[in-house]
Amino acid sequence: MSEEKKGKAKKKKSKHTTISIPTPLYKKIKKRIEGTGFTSVSDYVTYVLREVLASLEEEEKEEVFSEEEEEKVKERLRALGYLD
Amino acid sequence: MITVIAIDALEYNLVEEFNMRNLKQEYYGKTDISEFSEPRTMVLWSSFMTGENKEEEILAKGDKEMWNTRIPHEETFFSHFENPFILDLPGYNYDLEQHERERRLLKEFFMEKDEEKKREIRKKYNENAFAHHRKIKERFLEALEGEYDFILGYFSVADVIGHLNFGNRMMMKMIYRDLDEIVSQVEGKKIVLSDHGMKAVGVFGDHSEYGFWSTNFKELGRPKITDFKSIILSETK
Ligand SMILES: [Zn+2]
Repeated sequence: MSEEKKGKAKKKKSKHTTISIPTPLYKKIKKRIEGTGFTSVSDYVTYVLREVLASLEEEEKEEVFSEEEEEKVKERLRALGYLD
Repeated sequence: MITVIAIDALEYNLVEEFNMRNLKQEYYGKTDISEFSEPRTMVLWSSFMTGENKEEEILAKGDKEMWNTRIPHEETFFSHFENPFILDLPGYNYDLEQHERERRLLKEFFMEKDEEKKREIRKKYNENAFAHHRKIKERFLEALEGEYDFILGYFSVADVIGHLNFGNRMMMKMIYRDLDEIVSQVEGKKIVLSDHGMKAVGVFGDHSEYGFWSTNFKELGRPKITDFKSIILSETK
């Protein structure tokens, strides 16, 4: 974050926070974003994390508990001793 | 010195699909558990630690009592070591209360009919499993710094979470990545071993009919889970 941004962040309420990542990973990302539209490692990391969270949420939303599968797995879990 | 990373329900096909290099190590493959009538966790780990097929003995206890199995130290190959560290292993010293809580929530989940409530129960079930995993992981990594001549850490998270979430690839990948990372922190000779794998039934997970093994020192072919006693003892002589 630039000094100027830090100054602004102090006046307003900061919309960003700091997280740490391993240095080798930082370097790898820095290299990867060369010549792309990303202007900083932070921007890239934010993009990737949003993507991951979106797919996780998507997967959870699409998920249905089918009664047929539930019966099948219940029977199996009984055979394995998990359910009585 | 040898370290065993015992992972319940680590599935060969997922390790391949996710290409988890640390879980795979130099040599890896499937174990042969076809001598057992079902891939039951308690039966398989008990057979592992004694080097004998314990199916008949464990099943005779019945489904409830089976989970309380405690095989005496002298009957396990761990007794060949002077100062072994065994962490949370079923049939030996695992946290009975924790694992009972898991089975209770599992039962609650299947008894519940309301979809929303089911999701809530599963959330609680997952949180409980992950909290236990974090604790075990910390204790295991601590033990790696200790003065032991044999270390075994048992990780149940892939099995417990898998039973209600195996269809969630992202979640399973996150768990496999975490386990992969744990293995990467172990130095020296190591064995990654699972009792059985897992296959999807919709969003749920059922046990598959083979286990997973890997080492960084030897090709093992298709070993039985009872072979590991002599494999480990011969490597440590
Ligand atoms: Zn299981």
